[in-house]
Amino acid sequence: MADTPAKTARAEWGTRFGFLMAMIGAMVGAGNIWRFPYIAGNNGGGAFILAYLALLFLLAVPGLMAEVALGRYTGKGVIGAFREVVGRSGLVGFGVVVLLVNVALMSYYSPVIGWTLYYAIHSLLFTFTSAGFQPEAFWTAFLDNPVLTIGLHTVVMGTIAAVLALGIRRGVERLVVYAVPALVFSLVVMTIRGLTLPGASDGIAFIFGVQWEFLARSETWITALGQALFSTGLGWGIALTIGSYLREYDDVPLGGGVFTAIGESSIGVLAALAIFPVVFAVGLEPDVGANLAFISLVQVFPEIPFGGLVAILFFVGFFLATLTSGLLITEVSVTTISEETRLDRTQTVLGVCGAIWLLGIPSAYSVTILNYLDFVFGNWGLPLATLAIIGVIGWVLGPQRLRLLTVNRNAGIYVGHWWNPVVKYVIPAVMLFIVAYFAYDNFGSPEMIGGMLVLVLFPIIGYALMSILEGRAPPEAAEVPGGDD
Amino acid sequence: MALSAGVLGMLAFILLAFYGVAGWALVRTLRQESRKAEILEEQDRMDTYSPKALAELRDWIEDNPDDPLVDEARRRYNECVDTLETTDRHFYDWSDREIDRLEQI
Repeated sequence: MADTPAKTARAEWGTRFGFLMAMIGAMVGAGNIWRFPYIAGNNGGGAFILAYLALLFLLAVPGLMAEVALGRYTGKGVIGAFREVVGRSGLVGFGVVVLLVNVALMSYYSPVIGWTLYYAIHSLLFTFTSAGFQPEAFWTAFLDNPVLTIGLHTVVMGTIAAVLALGIRRGVERLVVYAVPALVFSLVVMTIRGLTLPGASDGIAFIFGVQWEFLARSETWITALGQALFSTGLGWGIALTIGSYLREYDDVPLGGGVFTAIGESSIGVLAALAIFPVVFAVGLEPDVGANLAFISLVQVFPEIPFGGLVAILFFVGFFLATLTSGLLITEVSVTTISEETRLDRTQTVLGVCGAIWLLGIPSAYSVTILNYLDFVFGNWGLPLATLAIIGVIGWVLGPQRLRLLTVNRNAGIYVGHWWNPVVKYVIPAVMLFIVAYFAYDNFGSPEMIGGMLVLVLFPIIGYALMSILEGRAPPEAAEVPGGDD
Repeated sequence: MALSAGVLGMLAFILLAFYGVAGWALVRTLRQESRKAEILEEQDRMDTYSPKALAELRDWIEDNPDDPLVDEARRRYNECVDTLETTDRHFYDWSDREIDRLEQI
């Protein structure tokens, strides 16, 4: 499997802007739009955002630098990157764990992209501002129509396959350099519209009013921690994959770390500015999750001048945000499977997208299944992937080596010694804490049992699979034995 | 409802902290990219480490002679030194005196 000779020269990003937009496009998703504004407002407003900002700099920025640097250093997808570091052994299976988590994540994220596509189409048809429109009934009828939800899931995976088949530069990059600025533009116009409505200041006060006492509550910090780690996609293999396509003289820490973490969070702040003034201006209560976007906000559009146009901006922007994330999540599997097998890129894209489509049918059919998988993989699957990637950097390759050999090479900013203990100790400790906290908080629930199965079975499957496959190849010493920083 | 000074202050701080930092990083990295492209148009290679980062790499090589990655580190170090000595334009802020003091390992 792994000893297939290189098929062609490896692709590279065509421009620096393309790489940056790919990072932002991958990390900005539904969570930035329907989750961040609400949890900020409900956890002390400005106080929460300060806690979140501090954690971004402490954890997400260094973590993303490490993940992009691993991709850059090895020039491989997740499985190849693990092999470069641990050598040919069953431990390469931790790369398979990252792959499995990505496939699972995409299987239930694709139907969500389908929801945003459906609403984007209806915004273009001015459905939401038509007479007698009932948001809740419309939403329920949509979810109760499996032909529609599965059909949209199919359209989404077909679209993603078509873009990915074109390749990194002609497919992914060409799309993200337009989609991400278009999303920002949509939110900026919506912000201007919202801020000029009477009563908009209540929304601003909800998000940015500072309740300092929240900083003394552990719940605030745990929520901020989850948001800082999950919204930046740290350790999911996406940053590693995107980083593996960097060019010879490209920087890692400034673009891959600082810009990505702060830039993608800036879009969350922008979404808060775009959504809450509008919601409060018409006297609605803020909500969380899908209801905010698909029910609450939809009630707003008929109430405001130019509401039909604002709805188009919002839902088209929302669709682009989810689509670009879906593209890059799928690219993780495409890159590594294409490298590890004899399949060419088009065959790999068809195989990966076909598998995700098949696995995603239950989530497209039932929101209950989707929510269950989201909870299980959000709370345990994704932290497991993060632990695998940050663990291999921190404890096998060694952060000091990676910092000297890759992070500070061609770098736009200098990264000092402080980075080593953050990558080796702080991020893994925080991830273990999150996994344990969620398990404790949901002890005995079906979600917790599912999460524990993922935590136990995925590494076993990965290890067993790679022990067999790697055992077929001639033995070889680890490329990077030890890691004694 | 008029916004309080506290809310306005926090809004201003957050906008500065997020958009200020993200904007600074974006502009800086794109400018650096242009500069790198300009240098590579004139010469086929470019220095890869800043003076501080290269000094740190040298110290690590000297302190870890048996590390499995020391050969790769040495290659990267020597490649940067060679480039600095044989090219006229440099990306990082190297003085002639600093370059004169450099030696291959």
